[in-house]
Amino acid sequence: MSSPDTEAMATPATNAISTFTSNIRVKLRTPARQRNLELVLVLFAIGVNLSLIALVQLGALGHLGFGAITLSAVLGVLILGVHATLRVVAPDADPLILPIITVLNGLGIAMIYRIDLADHRSGWDSAGIKQIVWTALAIAIAIAVLIIVRNHRVLQRYRYIAMFSGIVLLLLPMLPVVGSTVNGARLWVALGPFSFQPGELAKVALAIFFAGYLVTARDSLSMVGRTILGITFPRARDLGPILVVFTISMLVLVFQRDLGTALLYFGLFLVMIYVATGRSSWVILGVGMFLGGALIASQTLSYVHGRVEAWLDPFNPDIYNAEGGSYQLVQGLFGFANGGLIGTGLGRGRPDITPLASSDYIVSALGEELGLVGLFAILALYLLFVSRGFRIGFAGQDDFGRLLGVGLSFAIALQVFVVIGGVTRVIPLTGLTTPFLAAGGSSLAANWIIAALLLRLSDAVRHKPLLVVDPEVSPKLVVGQ
Amino acid sequence: MMSELTLLLLRIGFLIVLWGFVFAIVYSLRSDLFGQKVRRLPAAAGASRQTAVAPTAPAVSRPTKSRPETGASLDATRLVITSGAKQGLEVELPAETLTIGRSNESGLVIRDDYTSTHHARLLRWNDGWVVQDLDSTNGTFLNGVRVTVPTHVPLNTPVKIGATSFELRR
Repeated sequence: MSSPDTEAMATPATNAISTFTSNIRVKLRTPARQRNLELVLVLFAIGVNLSLIALVQLGALGHLGFGAITLSAVLGVLILGVHATLRVVAPDADPLILPIITVLNGLGIAMIYRIDLADHRSGWDSAGIKQIVWTALAIAIAIAVLIIVRNHRVLQRYRYIAMFSGIVLLLLPMLPVVGSTVNGARLWVALGPFSFQPGELAKVALAIFFAGYLVTARDSLSMVGRTILGITFPRARDLGPILVVFTISMLVLVFQRDLGTALLYFGLFLVMIYVATGRSSWVILGVGMFLGGALIASQTLSYVHGRVEAWLDPFNPDIYNAEGGSYQLVQGLFGFANGGLIGTGLGRGRPDITPLASSDYIVSALGEELGLVGLFAILALYLLFVSRGFRIGFAGQDDFGRLLGVGLSFAIALQVFVVIGGVTRVIPLTGLTTPFLAAGGSSLAANWIIAALLLRLSDAVRHKPLLVVDPEVSPKLVVGQ
Repeated sequence: MMSELTLLLLRIGFLIVLWGFVFAIVYSLRSDLFGQKVRRLPAAAGASRQTAVAPTAPAVSRPTKSRPETGASLDATRLVITSGAKQGLEVELPAETLTIGRSNESGLVIRDDYTSTHHARLLRWNDGWVVQDLDSTNGTFLNGVRVTVPTHVPLNTPVKIGATSFELRR
């Protein structure tokens, strides 16, 4: 081919290409493949939830009752509402998060309802009805978060507001009038008939703050330091943030008397600073600080000391019968033992013997009635949820989103470990709620907000590629010529 | 009243359903576990590209020679594929980051045997674009030199990933 010809073709052809690529980008958007998968799995999940309620009724009452099943179906409709919202505002969001939390939430409701039946509570007194109402409210909040937060990067701008509201929420239970003490821990805010646990929401606010702060500060936290034994330790002047968070956790431990929350906040910060800087020295430092602090606390604070004793020697009659001793822990363990491999069957065990079976000890109640097999399915669901969160963080396009995704999902993972570890006597028992399962509105709301934020992050991650270079198509090009 | 046998069967049945749900989810994310299956593009999209790409192949190599400037890439607005399967195609550069790899989550997906799942990324740095290799197996080459640390990418300089090369253009 002669060169003038080529030149003549060059300009219009290039123009044609650029219009073509922009056209193709639109065409490649296969609409809602993620959402159709989600719809199938959500319908499966709703079916699991309905059969849970039916099995509880068959096991505990011997017949089916329509009240509870109807309420569960109403929740199913609300969850389909979340699904519909996602179709509009976040069509590329992760399709697995919603089905997973639907089943976890349904398992919690069924078990709380089952314990209500054992305790002969019904109507508005029963924890089950309250849990259903709280779930409905939490779902509504999650939908609102999805609609309002259209771009997660906006949250980075509000990081100092998040910090401020996180600290205020943490301190709220300490105030004289509204704060109230439940079971020895000063974690609650009571306003008339309503009580709320603001620390749960502080978890979300602090994760947003940590992510926003570490994105800007990580260079100074990761670049300099001195090396001891092959590990680079940070300079003394860079220790400020970790000391502040450590102090806050210790204050929670001393004044709110809550070991679990202290562990959760400090662990969350530690993991986020590790992910942001990639330096193991932060983890070594942090774990050392926390173990030191916990050791001192176990010697000086009576309630921490009691928890550790109950953990080490629960079957000692003195500790078993003591006030705040190991009675609850041992009853939970007896529950697990009674359940065995495949459980007593829903409605057929005695989970109501354990104190607080519907909140702190819901895992032992589920372990009793669903057995080891069922408990492992629950743990697998948590594992899948957290792995989706880490995956979203890993694939994120911006550093803030990556840190936030890892932080939020790690908060859930740590909470599950602390609660189930405490109930199964792996670590000393602490008072955290089991995410999505345990009775309690504040915890449900906070965890649904976390799920909504993860869905929002995953929508940003899973945008369609700009261009796909696929050699399988290229031989055709030559043939076509 | 239900018989004990029925309840036992229901109990075991429910556990099977619960695990069925877990495995349904694991099955849906199998691409995460076993890697991305190499798939063909939809036939229609492929066909429209074939007609578009062919005439430009000679046109693309020309501007490189005619435009000698290799200044700061701050004002680079597009990425042009200069060799490989999609030779001649161009895309607009995103605002901050462009990830490159075999994974579907990448901004620029290159599916060939030499590309790693998360291969490299282009980042907008202070005064231009920087290419960073994400520990890929076969490496990222800037003007023929393997990239080990995040390296500034000048305009009109070929970046080679697997069998594909691209340049940043104004």
